[in-house]
Amino acid sequence: MLAVTFADLWFRARQFLIAIVGVGLVLALALALSGLTDGFHSEVAGSINAVGASSWVMSPSAHGRFTAFAAFPESAEAAVAREPGVHRASAVLFAPEQVVLTSGSSKPLTVNLMGVRPGGLGDPQVVAGHGFSGPDQAVVDSRLKVPVGSTLEVGGHGYQVVGVVDGRTMDGGIPIVFMPLAAVQQAVTGGRPLITAVAVDGTPANAPPGLVVLAPSTVVSATVAALGSAVASINNTRSLMWIVAAAIVASMLYVAALERKRDFAVLKALGSSSRALFMSLVLEAVVVTLLAALLAEVLSIFTAPLFAQPVDITPAARLVLPLVAVVVGVVASVGALRRVTGADPATAFG
Amino acid sequence: MSSRLVVDDLTVAFDSGGYVIKPLDGLSFSAEDGELVVLLGPSGCGKTTLLSCLAGLLTPTEGRIQFGPTVVNELRGPVLSEYRRQTVGVVFQAFNLIASLTARGNVVVPMRLAGIPRARARDRATELLGLVGLGERGHHRPAQLSGGQQQRVAIARALVHDPPLILADEPTAHLDHIQVEGILRLMRDLASPGRIIVVSTHDDRVSQLADRVIELAPHFSDADRQPEEVHLADGEILFRQGERGELIFHVESGLLEVYRELADGGEEVLAQVKPGNYVGELGPILNLPRSASVRAMGEAFVIGYTVRAFRKEHPHHLADQIAT
Repeated sequence: MLAVTFADLWFRARQFLIAIVGVGLVLALALALSGLTDGFHSEVAGSINAVGASSWVMSPSAHGRFTAFAAFPESAEAAVAREPGVHRASAVLFAPEQVVLTSGSSKPLTVNLMGVRPGGLGDPQVVAGHGFSGPDQAVVDSRLKVPVGSTLEVGGHGYQVVGVVDGRTMDGGIPIVFMPLAAVQQAVTGGRPLITAVAVDGTPANAPPGLVVLAPSTVVSATVAALGSAVASINNTRSLMWIVAAAIVASMLYVAALERKRDFAVLKALGSSSRALFMSLVLEAVVVTLLAALLAEVLSIFTAPLFAQPVDITPAARLVLPLVAVVVGVVASVGALRRVTGADPATAFG
Repeated sequence: MSSRLVVDDLTVAFDSGGYVIKPLDGLSFSAEDGELVVLLGPSGCGKTTLLSCLAGLLTPTEGRIQFGPTVVNELRGPVLSEYRRQTVGVVFQAFNLIASLTARGNVVVPMRLAGIPRARARDRATELLGLVGLGERGHHRPAQLSGGQQQRVAIARALVHDPPLILADEPTAHLDHIQVEGILRLMRDLASPGRIIVVSTHDDRVSQLADRVIELAPHFSDADRQPEEVHLADGEILFRQGERGELIFHVESGLLEVYRELADGGEEVLAQVKPGNYVGELGPILNLPRSASVRAMGEAFVIGYTVRAFRKEHPHHLADQIAT
C-alpha cells in the first residue's frame, strides 16, 4: 500500500501542496503563539535573573509578584544587609506601566520603571552607551527604540538616556526603563523612601518584620502567573489553530477519499483490507502535516518578529510541533474513515 | 488443477426503496475447465450481480456456487479474502485502473497486497504486460493509454496470481471494434486447461467465441403467436414481480389487482384493472422483469398477446402508452 499511498500523493501533488501551504501557515501561527507564551516566561525570567540576586525580600502582600506595587520602607535594605548570610543587598523600586515622553515627541509611551542602586545589584549591563554616572540618567530597553542621548520625560522631569539594554521587558513586551532609585522614588512616590523589593546576594537568615524571603524561581513563577489569563487566551487560540489545521487536512482528505471511492472498492476487490486503506489515508495525512510543520518551522522565523510581544520559540516547541502535526494528521483522517470502510468491493463492478 | 464451476438455483434478492428486487432468481448452470463462458443479456438482467457472486464479493440470498472443491457462498473472513486474491481474477467494466499508478504499478498492486516481494512482483508485472502486448508501456499512467490498452492492463492485473477463474465484466463495452477484436482474441487464448473465463456482455456477437453461452434474459421470438386465453380463479396470480414474460394481458372480464411485494413481506396495491384495459406491457416491450405482480379479484378472463400482436389488435392502447 505504500506505493499506492505515495503514488496518490504525487498524483494529487497540487491538491496536497495547497493543503501543505494552508496548514503550514496555520501551524506557523500556532508556533508563534507557543513562542508568545514561552516569551512571557522568558522575559520575566530574563529580567528578574539579570538582577543577579540569589534571594529576594518582598512584602507578603505582593505574593511573590515582582510587578506588584506592594511598597515598604527603604530602611529594610539596611536591615537585610545586616542579616547573617547576606553578602550584599540592594533596594529595588519597580513601578509597572508608567507613562513617559521622549524628547521631541508628544506620543506617550508605556514603560516599566525600575529604580536601582547604581553599582548595586540590578544595575543594568548596557549593550550600547554606558551605565549610570549621575542622578538624572536612564538606561532603556532596546524595544523602547529611544537612542542614547535622547531625553526621557518622567513625571515632568527630564532624564538623559545614557545606555541601552537588551531583553529587559515585563508584562508582555513592555520595556523597562532603569533609573537611579531616588529618581524613581521622586517620580512615583513623590520622593518618599519606599521600595518594592530588596535584591540579595546570599540568603538572609531572617526577613525583617513584615517581609518575606523568596527564591528567584518563586518570584519568576509568581510573576508569570500574573499573566495567567493572557497565557490561557493565547493557548486557547493555539488550540483553535490546531483544530483549523486538522479541519484543512480533514476536508482535503475527505475530498480525496470521495474522488477515490472507486479506487477503494477496486483495491478491496483486489484483496486490500479496510484497515490497510485507512492506514494509507492516515499516512497521506501525516505526510501532509509533517511537511506543513516543516514549512511552519521556516515561516515562524519570519512571523515571530511581527509580534509586538517577545516571541521565544524554544527548541522544545520546535520538537513538539512535528508530534502535534502527526496527531493533527491522524485526527484529520478520521473524517474519511467512513468513506474507506463504507466502500463496497462489489461496486467495483458497477 | 482442473476445476468445474457449478451454479445451482442461485437467487439474489435485495431491498430497493422498500421493494424486493431479484436480479437473479433461481439461476443454474455449469462450466467445465478450460471453457470460455459468456453471460449474455441486456442491462439489468443480473450479469454483474452474478459476477459479483462468483468473485465472492456478494453473498447470494439462496442457492449455491461451487468452484472445484470450494463452495464459494459458504466462505467467510480470511478464507474468503484468500479466495478473492488467489482464485479469482477480475476484469472490471470501465477498466477501474488506479489513476495515480503506472500500468506496471496497477499490475503490481494485487501481488504486493498478497505479500509478494517487490522485485518479484515487478518482474511478474513486466512478464504479464508483455503477455498482453504492453511490454513497452509499463511506465505509462492509465490516462496515457487507449481504452484497449487500459483493458489489457486490467487483464494483466487479473492474471497476476494465475487464477483458475477469470471474470470479465463487459470487457469490450468501452472499446472500438479494432480494440474489441484484440481483447476477445486475448480472452479466447486465456481460456485454456486449468482456467475458466466468464465474460459478461450484452453484445451477442461475443457469444460466437464462447464454449458456453448463458442467457440471463429469456429470448422471446419475434414471430407472431396465437393470443393466449387465460381463465383466472379468485386470487390466482397472473404473473409475479421479477419474472420475465413476453405477453401483454388484455382484461376481457373480471377485475385484476396490481400490487408490489415489499421487502418486509407486505404488499402495496398499485391499481385495479377493469375490463377493456390491459396490464404488463413494459416488461415485454423493454425486455425487463415484471415490476409488479398481478392477481385476479374474483373470477377473471384475460387474453395474452405478444407485443407485435397487441399492437395489431389494440393499436390505440400502445399509442396511449407511448404518448404518456
